[in-house]
Amino acid sequence: MNPLELLWAALATAGFAVLLELRPRDLPLAVAGASLGWWIFSAFRIAGDPAIGYFAAAAAIGFLSEFGAHFLRRPAFLYMVCAILPLVPGSGMYNTMLQSVRGDFPGTLAIGFATLQAAGAIAAGLAVSSALARLASQVATSRRRRGGTPGDRENGDEPAGWVSAK
Amino acid sequence: MADPDPEDVLLLASDAARLVLRCGAETYRAEETARAFCSSLGGAEAECYATPTGVVLSFFGPDGRSRSIVRRVRGRTMNLERIARIHSLTRDLYAGRADFRQASEGIDSIERLPGYPGAVTLAGAAAAAGFFTLLYGGSWSDALVAAPVGAILSRMTRTLSRQGISDFFTNIAGGAFAVLACLAAGLAGFAASPDRAVIGSIMLLVPGVAITNAIRDTIAGDLVAGVARGADAFISAAGISIGAGAAFGLWRLAGLGAA
Repeated sequence: MNPLELLWAALATAGFAVLLELRPRDLPLAVAGASLGWWIFSAFRIAGDPAIGYFAAAAAIGFLSEFGAHFLRRPAFLYMVCAILPLVPGSGMYNTMLQSVRGDFPGTLAIGFATLQAAGAIAAGLAVSSALARLASQVATSRRRRGGTPGDRENGDEPAGWVSAK
Repeated sequence: MADPDPEDVLLLASDAARLVLRCGAETYRAEETARAFCSSLGGAEAECYATPTGVVLSFFGPDGRSRSIVRRVRGRTMNLERIARIHSLTRDLYAGRADFRQASEGIDSIERLPGYPGAVTLAGAAAAAGFFTLLYGGSWSDALVAAPVGAILSRMTRTLSRQGISDFFTNIAGGAFAVLACLAAGLAGFAASPDRAVIGSIMLLVPGVAITNAIRDTIAGDLVAGVARGADAFISAAGISIGAGAAFGLWRLAGLGAA
């Protein structure tokens, strides 16, 4: 992989983050996540397995976002949305529909399938990291509150996570 | 302090949920925000059902009577700073650091929060389009074409949606403009591979994040919201491609070369 690609991913993400109204103080983590994700994805793509690459990159971005968000006391969503920008299969959506507009049915199916696979892998990667972060924050909260009412944690209607920095 | 009127709490909580959805956040975040507002301000049980296009909120006041409200959400533009501010306001409410008046002033100020000035947004769009072109295998000449095309594209779509033109037609116009501008630059000898410049500048419009969030909502169990977001992403991609496909077709018909 061309190491300059990490720089391109970072700068493209920084530019797009402005359009999403991300404030400058949130930019470093978002940009770092984008470079990390692109690096992991490229390593897997060169090894010949882009789908696992999307999943691994998204999981890494998710962990970094949740971890950073916890310390910065901001929602992890901010960093996730920006950091997945280089991976996200936007051009795949466009190419799928372009093949369809041109009447190329096999092309539509092939590109469309690859696009859904990529989007699914990214979403699954983010879901895994969010689930683990939620688990970790609940363990931490129940430790801090040891001696509190035991029913507390089981109440699913409680807006869990406001304690954490989800 | 006297408890706020249950009707006011209901209205404020639904305003908060609607604001969260307008900023393009996850559906469960809107529901949790509304519930956190109600439980922090009224104490009683609240249920919220949100989809990307609307919020239904019902609330049992301290007097034991139930009230409900329906809010329609029109127009979604992602605004991460607003999401962050609502998040911290909700945390303050939940921790008892803010009361009803502070919460309602907070929501007002978040709604009026100014965005980046136009020049910064233009520079951001240009940088995104240019560097995405480089990232996806374009040359420097392609990136230098994509950057101004991206900047004009972002200004153009913003102006069109302010005029109340639907997203679908905005995307058709945007896709057609990006393709024609990049092909013209290629014809004039500025871009080595105009296709790469098209992909780079069109990154500003394509619903990549939308399709990913659609799947995330579905995974989170918000099935209706997930399918709705998926349909939104699908229609945006269709609009861009209809515009782009028409532009490629016109270019071929005009005999300016195969593209």
